[in-house]
Amino acid sequence: MKLIGSVMVIAASGLTGMAVAGSYARRPGELRALRSAFQMLETEIGYGATPLKEALSQVAARCDRTVAPLFGGVAGMLSESRGTTAAEAWLKSMERCYPETALKPQDLSILRDLGSSIGISGREDQMKHLRLAMERIGREITAAEEEAARNVKLWSYLGFLGGLMAVLVLY
Amino acid sequence: MRTVGIQPAARAAEDRALPEILPVLPGNIRCLVSSLPESVRCRIEEIRIRQERPLTITLNDGDVFLDREGRPVRDAGEAYQVTSADMERLIGLVSGSSLYAFEEELKSGFITLPGGHRVGLAGKALLEGGKVRTLKYISSVNIRVSREIRGAAEQVLPYIIDRRGAGIYHTLIVSPPRCGKTTMLRDMVRQISDGISSAGFQGLSVGLVDERSEIAGCFKGVPQRDVGMRTDVLDGCPKAEGMMMLLRAMSPRVIAVDEIGKAEDAEALEEVLNAGVKILASAHGSSLEELAERPVLSGIIGSKTVERFIILGRSRGAGTLEDVIDGKNMRSLVMKKC
Repeated sequence: MKLIGSVMVIAASGLTGMAVAGSYARRPGELRALRSAFQMLETEIGYGATPLKEALSQVAARCDRTVAPLFGGVAGMLSESRGTTAAEAWLKSMERCYPETALKPQDLSILRDLGSSIGISGREDQMKHLRLAMERIGREITAAEEEAARNVKLWSYLGFLGGLMAVLVLY
Repeated sequence: MRTVGIQPAARAAEDRALPEILPVLPGNIRCLVSSLPESVRCRIEEIRIRQERPLTITLNDGDVFLDREGRPVRDAGEAYQVTSADMERLIGLVSGSSLYAFEEELKSGFITLPGGHRVGLAGKALLEGGKVRTLKYISSVNIRVSREIRGAAEQVLPYIIDRRGAGIYHTLIVSPPRCGKTTMLRDMVRQISDGISSAGFQGLSVGLVDERSEIAGCFKGVPQRDVGMRTDVLDGCPKAEGMMMLLRAMSPRVIAVDEIGKAEDAEALEEVLNAGVKILASAHGSSLEELAERPVLSGIIGSKTVERFIILGRSRGAGTLEDVIDGKNMRSLVMKKC
C-alpha cells in the first residue's frame, strides 16, 4: 500500500514539474509563431491593403495553430457586424485564448498595445505598430529562450526529485 | 413648368436602405436612430454626426436633432451630444476597422458603404507636396442614405429616347447636391439597359463607370443595385480612364458616368462622343447658365453635342424634374408639351 502511495506521489510531483517545464519550453515557440503571424499581417496590411477581417482570416489560416485562434477569433467577431470594434474584438479574443497558451503577462501587454491601435490609422502607421510589436516580441523570445534553457531541465528534475524527497520524509 | 416629386416611391424602398447603414453606427447612436418612428425613419436623407455637437438627421423637409431618448427635437440644447468615443467607434465601424485600406478614399474625403451609401468625412487634412495625403482627427461625418427608387426616371425617359435611331440622345443631368441626381441616373441606366417593352424600346448595352461605387453599389465587382441586365460596371475606376477602357474593351452603345467636373472627364467625354457612343452623364449645377460658366463644361455645352439637358431640383421634394432642355436649340421641351 505504501509502495503504491509512494509511486503516486512521485508520479504526481513529476508530472507537475514536467507541466511547468513544458510551459517554459512552449513559450519561445508560441512567441515565434506570434512574430511570424504579425509578419504575415504586416504584408497583408502594408502591401495588400487587405481589409482587417479578411487579413486576419488569412493569417489565422496560414499561421501556427497555437496562435491561430487569436486571429480567427477577432476575424469572427468582426464578421458578425454587431458594432464591435477591432480593439474590443482583439481584447476579447486575447482573453479567451490566453489560458490555453504559455504566454506571460508581459507578452499579453504587447498584444494589448497592438490591439488598441490595430486598424485605426494609415498603412505606414499600422506597419510601424506591427514592427514595434515584432521587435518587442523578439526581445521576449531571447529572454524566454534563456529562461527555458535554465528552467526546463530544472523543473523536470525538481518534480521527480521533490516527489522522491517527500516519499523519503514520509516513509 | 412641370414638377414630379419622387417622395412616395422613396418610402417603398426605405426598408432596404436604413438597415444597411445601422450596423456602422456606434451602439448608442444606432439605438437612437432605430427608435425613431417609421414615419420619420423613411424620410431620413442624411445622418450628420459631429463631435461634441448635436446629433442631427436631415429629413426631406429640413433637419432635426435627436435627444437622448431618440426623439426628434428642434432645440439644440436638448439634443444628444456626440462624444469623441462615439466618433472613434464610428470611424472604426465605417472602415471595417481597416482605415489603412481607405487611403485613396480619405484623400477624396468620403468612403462608400456597401449598398452605395456615401459617408463624407471632415477633420484635419495632412498634406504632402501641397496635396491632401490623408485625413486625421476626423470630427464630422455625414452619412447619406442612398435609396434605389425604381421608376424614378419614368418621367424623363420619353424625352431621351431617340425614336429614329432606336437609341438615346446624348444626355446630361444637371442638379444641385441632394436632388436625386444619382438615383435618377441609376434608374435611367437600368431602364435603358433592360429596355422598355411598353414603349417598344429594346435594351442597349450600357457601360457604367462607377468611380465612387454609388450607382451600382458593387460588392466585389458585382452590382448590388439593379442597374440593368445589359450593363457592364467598372467599379471604383477614375471616370476619364474608365470611359476609355469601356470604349475600347466592352463596345457599349451608351456610356454612363456620374458627376463629371474635371478637365480630363470632359476630354474623355469628347472621345466618347466622337466614337459614336451615346453619353449619359450628370453634373453639379442648378441651371444651364451656371454650368456654362464653368470652364470645363462650357466647351461641351457650347459644342451643342449634348442633345438633352435634364434639370433636377427640390421645388417639390428631392428628385423634382424641373425642366428638360433640347441641347440643339436650347428650348424647354417640357414647356412645349404643357
